[in-house]
Amino acid sequence: MSFGPFLFGAPGALLALLALPVLFFIMRATPPPPQREQFPPARLLEGLRTDDQSRERAPWWLVLFRMLAAALLILAFARPSLAPQASDSPLGGRTLIVIDDGWTSAPAWSEVRNAANAAIAQAERARAPIFMLFTAPSTRPRDPGEALTAADAKSRVQRLEPQPWRPDRADAAARLARTEGNFDRIVWITDGLNDAGAEALAAELQRRGTVTARIPAQTARGIVSGSVTPQGVVIEARRAPNGSAVGAVTAETAEGRSLGAAELQFQGDTLTASARIELPPEIAARAARVRIVGEQSAGAVRLLPAGAGRPFVGLVDPGGAGQPLLSELFYVDRALQPYASLRRGSISQLIDARAQALILPDAGRIAPTDSAALQRWLEAGGLLVRFAGPRLANDADEFVPVRLRPGSRTLGSALAWETPLSIGAFPADSPYAGISPPADVQVRRQVLAEPASLEEARVWATLSDNSPLITAQPRGRGLIVLFHVSATPEWSDMPLSGLFVEILRRTLAFAARTDGAGEREISGGPFVARRLLDGYGSLAPAPQDMQPIAPEAFAIAQPSPATPPGLYERAGVSAAIDAVRPDDSFQPLQLPSGISRAGLGAVIERPLAGWLFGFAGLMLAIDLMIALLLVGKLPRLPRRAHAAAAAVVIAGLFVFGGDAHAQNANDPTQTLRLAYVRTGDSQIDRASEQGLRALSNILTARTSVEPGPPAAVDLARDDLSAYPFIYWPAPPSPRRLPDAALSNVDRYLAIGGLLLVDTRDAGADQRGRPAQTMLSGIDVPPLEQVNQEHVLTRAFYLLRSFPGRSQSAQLWAESASAASSRDGVAAIFIGDGDWASAWSGLAGVSDRQRELSLRFGVNMVMVALTGNYKADQVHVPALLERLGERRR
Amino acid sequence: MSDASRLEALALAGDLPGVLLDARRLAASAPGLHGRRRAGQGEAFWQYRDHRAEDGARLVDWRRSARGDRYFVREREREAAQTAWIWMDPDAGFNWTSDAARTTKLRRAQTIALALATLLNRGGERVGMLGHAPRMGPRAVDRLAHDFLVPQKDAVAPSRSCVIFFSDFYAPVETWRARLSAAADAGASGALVMVADPAEEDFPFRGRTLFVEPGRRSETLIGRPENVRELYSERLETHRRAIRQAGANFGFPALLHRTDHGAAPALALLIALVSERFA
Repeated sequence: MSFGPFLFGAPGALLALLALPVLFFIMRATPPPPQREQFPPARLLEGLRTDDQSRERAPWWLVLFRMLAAALLILAFARPSLAPQASDSPLGGRTLIVIDDGWTSAPAWSEVRNAANAAIAQAERARAPIFMLFTAPSTRPRDPGEALTAADAKSRVQRLEPQPWRPDRADAAARLARTEGNFDRIVWITDGLNDAGAEALAAELQRRGTVTARIPAQTARGIVSGSVTPQGVVIEARRAPNGSAVGAVTAETAEGRSLGAAELQFQGDTLTASARIELPPEIAARAARVRIVGEQSAGAVRLLPAGAGRPFVGLVDPGGAGQPLLSELFYVDRALQPYASLRRGSISQLIDARAQALILPDAGRIAPTDSAALQRWLEAGGLLVRFAGPRLANDADEFVPVRLRPGSRTLGSALAWETPLSIGAFPADSPYAGISPPADVQVRRQVLAEPASLEEARVWATLSDNSPLITAQPRGRGLIVLFHVSATPEWSDMPLSGLFVEILRRTLAFAARTDGAGEREISGGPFVARRLLDGYGSLAPAPQDMQPIAPEAFAIAQPSPATPPGLYERAGVSAAIDAVRPDDSFQPLQLPSGISRAGLGAVIERPLAGWLFGFAGLMLAIDLMIALLLVGKLPRLPRRAHAAAAAVVIAGLFVFGGDAHAQNANDPTQTLRLAYVRTGDSQIDRASEQGLRALSNILTARTSVEPGPPAAVDLARDDLSAYPFIYWPAPPSPRRLPDAALSNVDRYLAIGGLLLVDTRDAGADQRGRPAQTMLSGIDVPPLEQVNQEHVLTRAFYLLRSFPGRSQSAQLWAESASAASSRDGVAAIFIGDGDWASAWSGLAGVSDRQRELSLRFGVNMVMVALTGNYKADQVHVPALLERLGERRR
Repeated sequence: MSDASRLEALALAGDLPGVLLDARRLAASAPGLHGRRRAGQGEAFWQYRDHRAEDGARLVDWRRSARGDRYFVREREREAAQTAWIWMDPDAGFNWTSDAARTTKLRRAQTIALALATLLNRGGERVGMLGHAPRMGPRAVDRLAHDFLVPQKDAVAPSRSCVIFFSDFYAPVETWRARLSAAADAGASGALVMVADPAEEDFPFRGRTLFVEPGRRSETLIGRPENVRELYSERLETHRRAIRQAGANFGFPALLHRTDHGAAPALALLIALVSERFA
């Protein structure tokens, strides 16, 4: 509804204005509540009456103020906008309405329709004939010379939908030129974007009458490219200078479910922006299209056909560590890494992970238990790519496209007549058609198919003697592809060539996609439309009478009625024609000076609702202040607010302060902590814990090392790198460490940790036994007994022995020569002192012995922390001696 | 004691040490009262004097007389036959302040009363809250402070005693006239201490205001308090004059004290008013 220069988006809300008088009386009758004051001599006030009016009624100015706020609010809800109508064109006479009905008009299509209807209504009032010209190409273009009644014109506008391609204005100008007669009024409802034919059309229109161009305030934007990368879906969008600079893009599945979104931001005046929707590869593989959120047009959608995505491919790992260059999967892995998300695992694992394709090297066995699952997966549309090899040559299973002859054919060996063969040209119906096989790729060995079984399978590639090289056979909705050579360069040069990459990529185009997996056509042929875009950017099934498009035409197809944008399929490979070509330009429409410009309906209107809401809100806020002022509560607010804020801050300090403190004490990266290995034996663990705690206390008391509480570590699971010193007491029955623990310990020793292994058996007969078991598997360096020259004897205290529970404990350390990589600092000490129980006092040793034992512990920690810092003291006696000699 | 008043008493007790401290500080700075310094009924020795014929044999202090040839009579210092009674307004409106930062009228009244009690106690006088036992001795002030925890009950003043009324005197004049005349009938005299909050004096209110008397339901709505300020102070003045007149008639001179002023001048004035009673 329009009202002078104002338009109302929701005129119904204006009815509420009728309620304003009622509101007036209510507000007038209800004065603001008085402030309450306790006042002991209130009795003295009894009977005091001053100004009755001000007491019973709200002040008139306040009522007026509130009425104004309410009126503004009501007006704002009616969504008003200021839209000065273009009224400079004469109303009557023959009217030509030109509509750009390409996708570029789709975002503002309702305004286009409104503008067209408004023009028709004006012509209707003047009882003038109406002519219409649609600029976008169409299979059956309308004749612009046809005079229409207003009703006809209206119904035509009502039925008109934007086309999924851009207007062809040169063609429209030509069509218009074929008609006769001039027009009294021409309304050109444009998309606001320039194209090659715009100038011609403008000239033609100007020749025929007075032209008013209706231009949308914001022009359409388009996604010019989109691709699936390992980092997610990357798109590039383009806009005209008057296109919106901000927005968002979202990636969708074929069903239209959103997978993720990213912000689209055109920096400054730039016309091109890119965005990346970050998705994990297996999710990104399911992205079927990207679209600009909230912009409904074919150009705001980019289709990501199956081949464009990164299929999630499982490599069936035969297991066992081999040399990388001889691994069967190495070449496949390298070839597919850029194009697919790869994961290794067993068949059942990969099927459970919903792999779209499986690559099965020769060594990969199909276990009987996997066989049923594999069959089901194939039926549901999986793609199984297999490579031949010695095992398959001798013992073929059922998952092959052709029956194989036992054994393999060797070409060009010393005992063979035949020379190695090159790969023949790919048949026209093969998915590899178009690739020219390089002549230097030679095949030396292959498995051969039974000729009879070739009838049921398809031969995608052959050798130059026509023996099949790659065969395929559908299995249910799935597909099995067999390379008759191995995946390594052993049998052929193929894995070393670029051809391998290309062939694998095209093969993977058959990987199961959620859409259309069942309608897979394995043959070549023309591109067949599956689903087509409409002008708004939604996909609909293609009509049955769609003409297929020849591959050569497809490659250069522009979006047009003959080659509409949408998803196509050929030989199981889906491809897309997009509404926007990468070279599409988005330039604002250039109009000659004679054409008057006007906004397109509500698009150029200035919406006022926001301003009105803002003003109304501001007034309500002011009203609140006034009310508070009247009640007299205003001056008290700030004090309470301050108190509340202070309380919040203090509470926060307590909460966060407490947290921060708690975190520091237990985080080994924040506080130094001595660690012991948890043996599982509660008694030993308690001794270790208490021993290290006692040692920590001694360290804190006597040295500048102030450790936190001791930590119990699990050699297999915990990250040891945060602990400089780990005490490892022998469990009662030592076992070999699990592999994870072994590598963990090796890494710990390599990065400079210190491990004190305590066999706890001083004085026992079979010395060394537990250590052997404990350390079996660890790369134990050569050891030497710690003697008086060792840095351990003077790292902090001067020590002569290292007593633990027993007076004469033995201690061995990594020899300095072995530890040369760490500047001679031993990483591993092995002894039998049962030191932890001595430190903790649980062993019942004498105080003197416990003290000496603790001194040894202090030295040990010092060595762990300072390395050979004190080692030069070892030479002090010699130096002193030498000094003394000189003085003498 | 009802639960509510017990709670109130507890709340007040929490403030008692503060009040006592304030009172001691105040008493230290006040011009003090002194003892009677003459012979009379009492415990403390005053002097020996010669035995006169009309004394009779019972009054002879034989221990002193045995040391000489003359008969001596032991005289004791005269002690106060009087007790200063405190009447503390129990009204909710009295325990009120217009500004949380300022002390309430009740607390100020208690401070002054306890300071006075300290001084009187030092002079050997007895103090008490009307309706309670009179307190004496070194703990008298503390006990009096404890008595304050119980709201004042109306009680007849003992004859020829000194009663000091602490109140804001906003109750109707008739009430006060009746109360004072009852006291005067019993032969009591004393003083009225009018404690007033500055807000009650200055009436600083603006904007539509509903005035509520604390502890009562009566409400008075004033549209423009700033306009009735003159009228209010006039009424207040009239009321005060009536109270002062009633007090003067019955032997209770009045003194006005504002809680935003220092307590010392009020105490000094109060001492001046009551000291002749204890001279």
